[in-house]
Amino acid sequence: MQQAVILAAGEGQRLRPFTVNRPKVMLSIAGRPILGYVVEALAKNGIRNIVMVVGYRKDQIFDYFGSGERFGVEITYVTQERQLGTAHALTQAQGVIADEFLLLPGDNLIEAETIAKFVGVAPEAVLVKKADNPKRYGVVDIKDDEVKSITEKPGDAGSNIISTGIYAFSKGIFRFIEPELDVPAAVNKMIAQGETIKVALTDGVWLDAVYPWDILSLNDAVLRRVQPNLSGTMESNVAVKGRVAIGENTVLRSHSYIAGPAVIGEDCEIGPSVCIQPSSSIGNNVVISPFTVIRNSVIGDDVNIGPGCIIYNSVIDKGSIIKGQFTACSSLAEVKINGEHYTVDMGVMVGEGCRLGNNIVAQAGTIIGNYSQVQGKTISGRLPDRSLVY
Amino acid sequence: MCGIVGYIGDKQAQPVLFNCLARLEYRGYDSCGIAVAGSEVKVFKDAVRVKALEKVTPKLAGTLGIGHTRWATHGEPSRVNAHPHLDCPGKICVVHNGIINNYQKLRQKLARAGHHFVSETDTEVLPHLVEEYYDGNLEMAVSRALQEVEGSYAIVVLAVGNRELVIARRDSPIIVGLGDRENYIASDVPAILDYTSRVVYLEDNDIGVVTANSLQIKNGGAEVARKEHKISWTVEDAQKAGYEYFMLKEIHEQPKVIRDTIGGYVAEGEAVGLADSGDFDLGDVLILASGTSYHAALVGKYIIEELVRTPVRTELASEFNYCGCTSPRSVTIVVTQSGETADALKAMKRLKGEGCRVSVITNVVGSTASRLADRVIYTRAGPEISVAATKSFLAQLMALYWLALPYSKIDIRRLDSLITELRQLPGKVQQVLDREGSIAECAKQLAKFDNIFFVGRGINYPVALEGALKLKEISYIHAEGCAAGELKHGPFALLGKEVPVVAVVGNDNTYEAMLTSIKEVKARHSPVIAIVGNGDGEIEELVNTVISVPKVEPIFSPVVNTVALQLLAYYTAKERGCPIDFPRNLAKSVTVE
Repeated sequence: MQQAVILAAGEGQRLRPFTVNRPKVMLSIAGRPILGYVVEALAKNGIRNIVMVVGYRKDQIFDYFGSGERFGVEITYVTQERQLGTAHALTQAQGVIADEFLLLPGDNLIEAETIAKFVGVAPEAVLVKKADNPKRYGVVDIKDDEVKSITEKPGDAGSNIISTGIYAFSKGIFRFIEPELDVPAAVNKMIAQGETIKVALTDGVWLDAVYPWDILSLNDAVLRRVQPNLSGTMESNVAVKGRVAIGENTVLRSHSYIAGPAVIGEDCEIGPSVCIQPSSSIGNNVVISPFTVIRNSVIGDDVNIGPGCIIYNSVIDKGSIIKGQFTACSSLAEVKINGEHYTVDMGVMVGEGCRLGNNIVAQAGTIIGNYSQVQGKTISGRLPDRSLVY
Repeated sequence: MCGIVGYIGDKQAQPVLFNCLARLEYRGYDSCGIAVAGSEVKVFKDAVRVKALEKVTPKLAGTLGIGHTRWATHGEPSRVNAHPHLDCPGKICVVHNGIINNYQKLRQKLARAGHHFVSETDTEVLPHLVEEYYDGNLEMAVSRALQEVEGSYAIVVLAVGNRELVIARRDSPIIVGLGDRENYIASDVPAILDYTSRVVYLEDNDIGVVTANSLQIKNGGAEVARKEHKISWTVEDAQKAGYEYFMLKEIHEQPKVIRDTIGGYVAEGEAVGLADSGDFDLGDVLILASGTSYHAALVGKYIIEELVRTPVRTELASEFNYCGCTSPRSVTIVVTQSGETADALKAMKRLKGEGCRVSVITNVVGSTASRLADRVIYTRAGPEISVAATKSFLAQLMALYWLALPYSKIDIRRLDSLITELRQLPGKVQQVLDREGSIAECAKQLAKFDNIFFVGRGINYPVALEGALKLKEISYIHAEGCAAGELKHGPFALLGKEVPVVAVVGNDNTYEAMLTSIKEVKARHSPVIAIVGNGDGEIEELVNTVISVPKVEPIFSPVVNTVALQLLAYYTAKERGCPIDFPRNLAKSVTVE
């Protein structure tokens, strides 16, 4: 396999507020976007010719990846002007596809091992894996190593084998794409017309983020394998334990305690007397004031956190300023997304550019929209973007 | 301007020369040409863009060659005026960036001696002059010829039978990129990034001999050693990467540029400030610059006067050179993105001659300005390829904030909140970029007009000037920046339905006065577009269109307002179908007066 097509045009609506200003593939996990892990997995398996189908907020992808040279790959960008499904996205790339290619979703976090064997498989083939909750995904019905059908989000899942969305195709696939709007439907059509789709099984890393709190599990899974790297400056009596990566120009001030696995970006100012506990990711240019504890959380770039804050199991998106004594309560919480109810063990999700005043207590499961301003004592529930709470 | 290139090694010269020239086009793009030397010199040139010439050039075999892309100064763009230029027998070939002031006299002298000229250029005297002195030793001939030349030059010379290139510099930049058994010559680093990151900069009056394996430089007859620099820019930095134009890519890089600048200066700790000595009682400050850098200087004036409470003078470098005076007690800062702006360099040399200490804010490591200055503050914007300056302007603003902050005489609480806000700026700029869709909509309307005013007050007055300059440069609309308070002293006569006004409204003590100005403008029926901080209901009711930017401390408002205006200019130019990265008649770095 020499070429890969990555579908990176989707919005990821259910991940709001984090996908209002970025496409789902650019969600930051352990300091890198999900799409970055996909590109790295391909490069490590020798596939350097990459076509990216972009659409929603594609400028975010251009800014990060450029021509791909920095990542050892060559990227050709193709735009899907309107998001009309995965098969439609694939047709945008038809003109630049040479021969055989791997098709991958850009929003599933994978590692090199996940696709290591699959890159050698001949088309047409689909990569599958065992899942605990197959009902959320495309369940694959298999007979003798071949696909019988793929059923998206079945009410009653016959098996627990799901499609990873990673396929090995030849140019022949394009005969079956139009006017279908998603790839599994095209695959079913192929099978109905007597074509063979082989099945390959992987037990490598394959992670999906659908709701905002999923960011925490992806972050945790990736951080366990982070490469320790200590850059920046550490003042006296700073303790760093476990797998920790710290970026350039970051200053860790006295008596701070960093317990890995953890990633801290560049140009940060942490401390004095700050605790970062596993598994936390801190972005670039972040300031964390004294006596704040951060645990199993993802903090975006340019965030400023005041003193005495307790932040567990939470996601704070970039540019937000949180004044002192903020408590992100964490426990089993009831959250409603798109009319559906979920019970999740989580802290608080805060969008970008928010301003949280002093002494705020946010109940577990609170989701604060982007650019919101909050003053007052206790908040809960879901706040839309640009909320003002007094 | 003009870009010159040269190659000597074991690769075929033609593709290398075209590749390097394409990367130098921002220096000049009305005509171009290459020459490849084998048993004879073959020249191919025309008044077209580099890619167009590359398509029609026949295969010229040879591993030694020179090339040129032109920004015409003497003689219109045409095939005969394009470089490279030859001597009478067609054996000596020259490319030149600069202006030869005494070319008329030299031409007459050479014509009387029997030389025959075909072009109207000043450059053409050079190969003939070298021919006069040539007797096999090319370096000697070039050296003696240059002694007769008055003016500026960066030249590459080749002669049939000599497997070498001779280069020379006075007042125009030239670098050598060192390779493995091959060497590259160019006006500027981006040309050779594909091939090497090891670079040597020539200094004034250097004459160099470049072979495939060596570089030897003499100055005043004596051999000198010039330092080898390792360039950290990558080819990546000089590519568009998915964006349609370099300008849009560079506008989108600004959050990163701000973040890199803050990180870099924070890392340097206390080192950066207005003066070396940490003397907190500064005299006055003089800032010199040209073009967009001059607008940065004007913003700098407001920043320094507000934070440091010391008077600041700003002067256009070109005007200062004819009638400016200063004293050695002043803190002098020169702002130049390229570090090669002729007007700025001339001012620097004079000031240093008068005993002043000069600091320079520049984006190019190793540039002439950086070597002339007593102190250099590098902006970290990476190479800016688009002719219209965008990220370099923002980076200059960041440098000026950073220079002023250590000297601030303001209350420590205000200083704290300013520094916190500074760290928020990358996110705030990104928010402006996130709204480019609505700015693009506004631009579609603006593109229909031929005359537009930009007004501002206080720290946003230079922002209005810069907004007008950007629009003018790339969309060719006649845009004029004006202090809001000055409108009624004359420009009002021009206002009407066909002349929209873009008002940059600051959230500071100028707000009320801006409201009044806008009402006065509306009374003359001009459509008004206002750039305001979020959620300003009062302005929304007054004006035709509002472009909202995130609220920031007033002293940082130029940062977000400028980005909005850059996007406005970009999308207006796009709507009008203009060649955004390479506007007509302009070049990136103005190395002539």
